[in-house]
Amino acid sequence: MKRISFILTFLLVITSAALAHEVRPAYLELRETAAETYDVLWKVPGLGDNLRLGLYVELPADCVNVTEPRAVMVNGAFAQRWTVKRAGGLAGSTIHIAGLQSTATDVLVRLERLDGTTQVTRLMPSSPSFVVEAVPDRWRLAETYLRLGTDHILKGVDHLLFVLGLLLIVGNRWMLLKTITAFTVAHSITLAVATLGFASAPLPPLNAAIALSILFLGPEIVRVWRGETSLTIRYPWVVAFAFGLLHGFGFASGLKATGLPQADIAWALLLFNVGVEIGQLLFVFLILGMARSYRQLEIRWPRWALALPGYTVGTLGAYWTIQRTVMLLGFIR
Amino acid sequence: MLKRGSARVGLGRLAIAALLLGLDCPRAEAHLVTTGLGPVYDGVAHLALSPADLALLVVVTLLAAMRGARPGRWLLALLPSAWLAGGVLGLTLPVNPSLDWAIGLAFLLAGGLVAADRNLPLPVVSGLVTILGAFHGFLTGAALTAAPSAGLELTGEWVALIVIVTLVAGLVVSLKAFWARIVVRVVGSWIAATGLLLIGWSFRA
Repeated sequence: MKRISFILTFLLVITSAALAHEVRPAYLELRETAAETYDVLWKVPGLGDNLRLGLYVELPADCVNVTEPRAVMVNGAFAQRWTVKRAGGLAGSTIHIAGLQSTATDVLVRLERLDGTTQVTRLMPSSPSFVVEAVPDRWRLAETYLRLGTDHILKGVDHLLFVLGLLLIVGNRWMLLKTITAFTVAHSITLAVATLGFASAPLPPLNAAIALSILFLGPEIVRVWRGETSLTIRYPWVVAFAFGLLHGFGFASGLKATGLPQADIAWALLLFNVGVEIGQLLFVFLILGMARSYRQLEIRWPRWALALPGYTVGTLGAYWTIQRTVMLLGFIR
Repeated sequence: MLKRGSARVGLGRLAIAALLLGLDCPRAEAHLVTTGLGPVYDGVAHLALSPADLALLVVVTLLAAMRGARPGRWLLALLPSAWLAGGVLGLTLPVNPSLDWAIGLAFLLAGGLVAADRNLPLPVVSGLVTILGAFHGFLTGAALTAAPSAGLELTGEWVALIVIVTLVAGLVVSLKAFWARIVVRVVGSWIAATGLLLIGWSFRA
């Protein structure tokens, strides 16, 4: 397992700078409150205390504002509410997000009709518009949250690095199954708890704690490499479960930052979690497949290459811990 | 190492069939893939979702891995290095060459050798891997010059290349069944046939 060192760690390192656990999509909600009348909620991730991402909703030109937009900064997001009216309703019309193409942000869109049916879609820089459907599409809803979950884990280099660290510690397949299952169960619990609003963890200390969980694995990997043992090496599933609880709060931030509506929350939660699992399993199988290939090719790695993954996991974990702690202290001050 | 099979694949027939089937195909063009996950993942997806790009890498991998673990190890050392060097060169040289015939020739050469299952010496296999890898990397780099984050996309493609080549090489080296070698040779013959098609296509106009 150690032999996959420099390739996978390189992949994680090169993506870390740009992608380190920053998944805050914007959110557009259109709720039909009366015939042809819609309440609009537009939430954009904030940049500091007063700034926001330059994303703007472009409704059909013949939409009329019933009330003027009211804007407020809340929980690090810029939220705007207003009411619009359009003859014949919004069905069939195109809604565009201006400025989306020049960002790396996604926009989650939820439209709720008078009869309670919904349309949920996800806009990306490559597809900044959508057409309001006349009838709801459950498959699109499922696809949206499923992809959101998969994307979240693939973008979350810190989560992947933690999983890589676990794989480097685990000795056999049965223990691997137990460890991955423990991590999955744990992060599913806190993901559900946090998304449903029963508990919450503020983002700055949470990110620092997640970084600390990665740092924790670094010395353990080196111990495995040296043939030593520890509680983590003997029972990696315990550590996976404990830190999995933290990572679940991290996954929840991807959903909670959007302010998802309560009507879809259970369904969205399930699909988001399944998406996270798909991404995680993809990563695990990829690593296992590469490790198997290296065995088949009878590669004998030099000592420095065998030690590299442990040191890389530890170094990155330390870097993120320091970086996020400094950010946390700045946040407190 | 795989056992050598005695069956011979009808390379010529396959080539003619592929040529006939492909005569009415639209012109293949380089494309960029947007995943929404950033340029590195865009590069990964670009390679993973481009059959024309994958075919050459796969056939080169088959060529080396069919000869056993040692050529397979050389493949893992040489192909990514040569590909990356070629890719960086392609990025830095502002050229957009139309080299369909050369790609076809590479397909034909590597695919034909896989189909023929000749016991090539290691230096020959290594040389082919290096030349074809550098060539493929150069074309990829040249095609990415228009991308906004070309360097990161190239890195993503490079990582995808390492992963794919490692997985395929490990799989091929582990194949022990007689029929498995036949399957590998058939794949090679199809890629050679595609090469013939590409060469014919490039001279069509």
